Amino acid sequence: MTLTFIRHELKAFWRSKNTGKSIVIRVVMALLILYLLANVLVMGFFLDKILEQVFPKDDLVISFCGIILLYYLFDLFMRLQLQELPTLRVQPYLQLPVKRNSLVRYLAFTALLSVFNLWPFILFLPFVFKIIVADSGSMVAFAFVVSLAGFTVLNNYLALYIKRKANINGWIFLIVAAVIILIGLSDFYWHLISIRNISYLFFGHLITQPALALLPVVLGVVMYYFNFLYLKQNLYLEELGSRKATKYKSSTEYPLLSRFGSVGDLAANEIKLILRNKRSKSALIMGLFFMLYGLIFYKNPQFNNEGYKVFVGMFMTGIFIINYGQFMFSWQASHFDGLLVSKISFTDFLKAKYLLFTIISTGFFVLTIPYVYFGWRTLMIHFVMYLWNIGINTTMVLFFANRNYKRIDLSRGAAFNWEGISGNQWILSLPLMLTPFAIYGPFAVFKHGDIGLALLAVTGLVFILTRGFWIKQLEADFYTKRYTIAEGFRNK
Amino acid sequence: MIAIKDLKKVYNGVTVVNVPHLEISKGESVGLVGNNGAGKTTLFRMMLDLIRPEAGEVLLNGENVAGHENWKSYTASYLDEGFLIDYLTPEEYFYFIGGLHQQSRAHVDDFLSGLTDFFNGEILKKGKYIRDLSKGNQCKVGVASCLLQSPELLMLDEPFANIDPSTQFRLKSLVKDLNKNKGVTTLISSHDLNHITDVCDRILLMEKGRIIKDIATSSSTLNDLQEYFGVGQTATAAVKIDEEENH
Repeated sequence: MTLTFIRHELKAFWRSKNTGKSIVIRVVMALLILYLLANVLVMGFFLDKILEQVFPKDDLVISFCGIILLYYLFDLFMRLQLQELPTLRVQPYLQLPVKRNSLVRYLAFTALLSVFNLWPFILFLPFVFKIIVADSGSMVAFAFVVSLAGFTVLNNYLALYIKRKANINGWIFLIVAAVIILIGLSDFYWHLISIRNISYLFFGHLITQPALALLPVVLGVVMYYFNFLYLKQNLYLEELGSRKATKYKSSTEYPLLSRFGSVGDLAANEIKLILRNKRSKSALIMGLFFMLYGLIFYKNPQFNNEGYKVFVGMFMTGIFIINYGQFMFSWQASHFDGLLVSKISFTDFLKAKYLLFTIISTGFFVLTIPYVYFGWRTLMIHFVMYLWNIGINTTMVLFFANRNYKRIDLSRGAAFNWEGISGNQWILSLPLMLTPFAIYGPFAVFKHGDIGLALLAVTGLVFILTRGFWIKQLEADFYTKRYTIAEGFRNK
Repeated sequence: MIAIKDLKKVYNGVTVVNVPHLEISKGESVGLVGNNGAGKTTLFRMMLDLIRPEAGEVLLNGENVAGHENWKSYTASYLDEGFLIDYLTPEEYFYFIGGLHQQSRAHVDDFLSGLTDFFNGEILKKGKYIRDLSKGNQCKVGVASCLLQSPELLMLDEPFANIDPSTQFRLKSLVKDLNKNKGVTTLISSHDLNHITDVCDRILLMEKGRIIKDIATSSSTLNDLQEYFGVGQTATAAVKIDEEENH
């Protein structure tokens, strides 16, 4: 049965729609992990040297025994944040004549397939073979290996158990994290307890009494059994999913926008789209992080020239237009048919996009005002780039939106989500980033940066003032492509 | 009201819709029946200008739907959940749709209060986004938003499929009322022969993209339809019996 499950999982992986892309991601991830592992391996190999450096006064074995539990505490903390819950899509099997036990066993066992379980061995085994074997003999070394395995299994299932509980009640995660941090603080900050002493208490005795190695193994097995029981009792659809208890969703309205009539309504809807869906929300939050971009560049005198300010200013006031706009119309893929048959003229639809971009860009521009600290010219350049963004970049983004036929599932998160990405985005980003420099660059090179800036501002303004014209062009363009767009969006 | 001329849609070399001629006049209530893959939804989509026909045209009030938008002001339709903006609450969605037709919020509220029975307390003020509603309740939202637009032409694709029996009956009487008392032209597809013959005065039967029967509903229509759809069934049933005997 387990073999069948594994086969199904493999099929699910190979046949999923964006396999081609997710392999690329997986290769990149695998390389990253290999790099990390190599680092850890080197560290493990020289652990004796490192320990000598850090604790020059202590005996090598004592300091080694001291850090092991410390490592596992840190390990638990990292697992809680990073380790993924193994999810076999169990739903289709639940009503079939498949034994619950074999389902649960599969779920529980696959949990061991995590890189987290390799790390302690890579880190500690070299030391065990180099020092412990030489010092205390292979029996003790074996006991060390066994107890390391025991603690690893214990940590693995403890982390998963806490994560499963936390899925139902978010507070549990916070409480456990707080407890771990408190333990850490009470050692390193308040000096109330010493984790190293506790660790030595166990591993020190292990040297004289190798049989003690069974203790962590027993703990690990007990934890596995807890997990097994918990999963078995909770093998219900509601509890397996990561859906948390839902809050009351209230209706909101934006009185300011409703003054713009149906254009305002459409823009209000899109603001709700952004705020109520994971992926679009993270596009907005990313934009907020980009507000710090200036700090990185402007504080560094090497980058504090105006060419960089044009670049940074464009990003800070326009990151949302670039980030969100590159998937334009795809965001609305799931109800595009509805939009097409309702009484919405495409002119209004486009006007709403312009309104939305203008509002958000204005917001971002306002947020960059504190950069006036770096001089009035900085703020002025930001303003010029703001005009450029709402004038030209908006139009450019919408032009490419007419050429985007890929559906996006809004409910999925943004991290490593390549859905909806096509060559389009790469083509789009080039003109977005390069055109301002095509205009500004030549003037800056011949020391007439001001003329370049003025030209940027004027071009931006001209585009803003001629929006009506561009909307007409975009609309005409849309009508030649609407069937293709709608059909692409219908393709799940 | 509706005129279809030489309408044709081909997917991968297979003709999925082929309607040489069809006229539906104002105030008619038309039911569309046919097995899966008969082309009902494709026909609907072409009538709503969502997909481009290979040939032919659909005229609503004498105007081609493709390239014009006037029909949107008097046509309301609900084909599937793809018509709903699923991250809005039902109230927000109704206000939005109402707003497109220049209706005030008060007007929308007033209208919705008339649908209390139809909603059965499961739609309004539940604190859920449309995406969190069940398929049946989403269907209610879709149908209600159609009614809200006080259309002259109402198009529903399999509205009875996901809703509970009480709502099915309420929907039937709503549609009948619209048609008989307000003169709304209705076009509904369904697999439920009882309902469709009850609601509609005229039945179109589709098979492999063609309309093979166009009948005015009479007391014998239901039997005729049951016979048409049942013929296949008895044939396969006979085969099944054979299989069982072979075992």
